[in-house]
Amino acid sequence: MKLRVDMDLCQGHAACVQEAPDLFALDPATNQVVLKNASPDESQRAEAKRAIRYCPTRALRLEE
Amino acid sequence: MNAPVLSRNWPLLGHLQELRKRPIELFWRVRDECGEIGEVNFAGNRVVLLVGPEAQEAFFRATDEQLDQAAAYPFMTPVFGRGVVFDATPEQRKQGLRNQSLRDSFMRGHAEVIARETERMMAKLGDAGELDLLDFFSELTIYTSSSCLIGRRFREELTPEYFKVFYELEKGTDALAYVNPYLPLPVFRERDRARRRMVELLTGVFERRARAGHVEGEKRELFDVLLSILNPDGSPRFPVDQITGMFISMMFAGHHTTSGTAAWTLIELLRNPEFGERVVAELDALYADGREVSHQALREIPELENAIKEALRLHPPLILLMRKVVHDFHYKDWVVPAGKLVGVSPAVSNRLPECFPEPERYDPDRYAEGREEDAQLFAWIPFGAGRHRCVGASFAMIQLKAIFSTLLREFSFELAQPRESYRNDHSKMVVQLQKPCAVRYRRRDPLAEAR
Repeated sequence: MKLRVDMDLCQGHAACVQEAPDLFALDPATNQVVLKNASPDESQRAEAKRAIRYCPTRALRLEE
Repeated sequence: MNAPVLSRNWPLLGHLQELRKRPIELFWRVRDECGEIGEVNFAGNRVVLLVGPEAQEAFFRATDEQLDQAAAYPFMTPVFGRGVVFDATPEQRKQGLRNQSLRDSFMRGHAEVIARETERMMAKLGDAGELDLLDFFSELTIYTSSSCLIGRRFREELTPEYFKVFYELEKGTDALAYVNPYLPLPVFRERDRARRRMVELLTGVFERRARAGHVEGEKRELFDVLLSILNPDGSPRFPVDQITGMFISMMFAGHHTTSGTAAWTLIELLRNPEFGERVVAELDALYADGREVSHQALREIPELENAIKEALRLHPPLILLMRKVVHDFHYKDWVVPAGKLVGVSPAVSNRLPECFPEPERYDPDRYAEGREEDAQLFAWIPFGAGRHRCVGASFAMIQLKAIFSTLLREFSFELAQPRESYRNDHSKMVVQLQKPCAVRYRRRDPLAEAR
């Protein structure tokens, strides 16, 4: 599976960083998200899904 | 090619009078007559409206270099004052989201404040009576937004006069500002008088602060900091007039928007009692264990959240979002040349029948799992979309959840007027509930309810 970020939507709320700190970080220069791991493994699926769900701007997606 | 111009474009004023009388009908006319793109004319300001999820997506995805938000709202300049803009630059926005009061870590404290402010308002109600929704929620949200966004000590300085003066300011946003925001008209004179009164009120606050002496550490609030910054010659860096403008702008975005949404949520729950009962039952069950509102308001309250979202869909606080075109804007075969404005109407978008089945129906279940009609990011747009999406959206939801968690467990409500008589006043760019807008309330009696 692959994580995708729509950078036009990300406003740097960092909800994803709280939900899945292994997958996401906040770039202080742009105040937007950066993927620490764009291809999470199966064991990280639940936290990836939580991050997607709690993103207030719905900027995240998971592709199988 | 250029976008088609909407019919009934009168000399000089264009569609301005229609905008001032029936704005939502005007925007629908664009869709019905022109399709997904059409031009309206506000006294020489050409606004190309984009309608439908695809055209709106192009609008929301455009960069700040192409579409400028700051230059699009001339009716706000006299409210905030010169040197204070409706919206910060992209850089300031980023800083703001990171440094100020909308950070996630502050939300729990905010929820606590909001619940307490709601209790203070409730304490004035007695056991039963009638209240005016506009007055009640305007007053409540002036306290919550000033306390959360500016500071708790600042809030304690506020009296009911503030919400009245603020209301006058909001009423000063007549679209005649597209002709000239300083025309010698009563509506603008009253706006300017309200602003001067606001400066007076805040001057008093600042003088009392100064007399109270220097404040240290955690107790320092934004205005302590602003007042303490001096020029090299020792004079204050920020004159009171300018600080007033900053405070007005900080409170503005979160005030009439939240106040109106709270009122419409309550109205719709009373008009659609099956949903009202579901929300009250949900809150009673959630809080049965005595948990704090400040805890739960940060968590999911699905029935209530869906009820609020549906009120937002049908009654979005902002009915027209605009940007100034900096570089020619292309959409499909059309081009909007630099200098014109482009606009999107949430009031139209949120009721597009191709996106929202039975669009006129109040149906909070549209957001339930499996339907999730709000996942249409560029169609469900009460908060806008894209990089300028309302940064206070999460705060607004927490605020509304805290207000209703407090209010609906203590009081029951019923309509005090015919159900269709509740409507918005669209004569100003800032939409407000039209008076009269009364509801009756009664303190709940758990024993009687159990019988």
